[in-house]
Amino acid sequence: METAEKMEIAESKRRPVNQILIDQLMLNMGNISTIIENRGRDIFGKTNLLTIEEISDYTLEFLELFVVLLQADDDIDRNSAEYKALRQYFSTCAQQMQMRGGDLNELVRYIQFLQSVFINGLKQEESISFDDSRQVLLVLASMFSEIVLDVFHFYLSEKERTIQVQQDEIRQTSTPITQIWDGVLTLPIIGTLDSSRTMMIMETLLSRIESERARMIVMDITGVLAIDTQVSHHLVQIVRAVGMMGAEAILTGIRPEVARALTSLNIDLSGVTTRASLSDGLKEAFRRLGITVSAATQT
Amino acid sequence: MIAGMHLTTIGDGNILLEPGDGLDPSQPGVYLEVLISHLQSNRTRRLIYDLSNVPIIDNIYYDWLVSVNSICRISGIEMVTANMAPTAAYNLATSIDHDPPFATALDVDSARQI
Repeated sequence: METAEKMEIAESKRRPVNQILIDQLMLNMGNISTIIENRGRDIFGKTNLLTIEEISDYTLEFLELFVVLLQADDDIDRNSAEYKALRQYFSTCAQQMQMRGGDLNELVRYIQFLQSVFINGLKQEESISFDDSRQVLLVLASMFSEIVLDVFHFYLSEKERTIQVQQDEIRQTSTPITQIWDGVLTLPIIGTLDSSRTMMIMETLLSRIESERARMIVMDITGVLAIDTQVSHHLVQIVRAVGMMGAEAILTGIRPEVARALTSLNIDLSGVTTRASLSDGLKEAFRRLGITVSAATQT
Repeated sequence: MIAGMHLTTIGDGNILLEPGDGLDPSQPGVYLEVLISHLQSNRTRRLIYDLSNVPIIDNIYYDWLVSVNSICRISGIEMVTANMAPTAAYNLATSIDHDPPFATALDVDSARQI
């Protein structure tokens, strides 16, 4: 018999990949379900991430979605609604795990275990040819790899979102603008002034000037430890923008090393009112507004 | 009346300029002579330029403001801008590398007291 003819016969005898997996599941459903559930308890039960009931529900739901996917066609269609439903199931799992403080490793280990359950099932079934086993292995490896990638993407995007929220919170709390008197705002700047932070400070400050009808802004930079050309340029921009709004800015708390750096950088602050400390700055602001603060006389 | 702007005498030698939609800041030559003529005939000491309807000040608009200020200064009139929007101040502060040559005020009342 010709080789081509032999291959044709072998091809005609080949069972579809999905059918092999369905047969495997139908024969050992109870066993597979128990193995998966036990492993789920090992991984998630010990850390109290999921209750026993939830682990059972998740196991059943996974098997149900997997069977539906396999029954949908001879081969797994990556664009089918069934496949999307299975991926969505794992995304939901990842979301729930993350909300409960679960570790990414635990879920990935669990997904890898699911894959190994089906691979082990293949080993035990002697009627499956080498070619069929190879096809099933390829399908399983590709499908579960994609699911693991989905879970990674979900975790990463959630982490990025969390970091972004934290950064926003830090930014908000690091530039507390306070109205210390009618028409007087104070802005203590702590840490490094980069372009994005400067923009945020400017936006917030200018909006506050408009809403509070502020006329004096005392900017205290005691918390700015180092300064370079860019930072000083940003400071001058803020002062200029404040002036354009019709308010006046007073810069206070310039540390000796910052003052020295400004001098060596040839930064011209001649148009900016400066005072040694925040309290001096406030006194100057009050003086310009014609406000006198004096100690109350005791009667 | 000058097309593209509304001029109101508000006392004490102050005139309030409110730009309208018809103003084309890229053509200062069209307005400057008529404007200064109006200011001089009203014995104006201070021109208060109300920017509350100007959300963004780009280079063209800034050049227009500088032109108005220059012609006012030649005629011994002080120009003060008022009600600059935060967005406009932000935009302008980041696009120019010097202080504007005209005075600025928070609002019209503050501008009158400068």
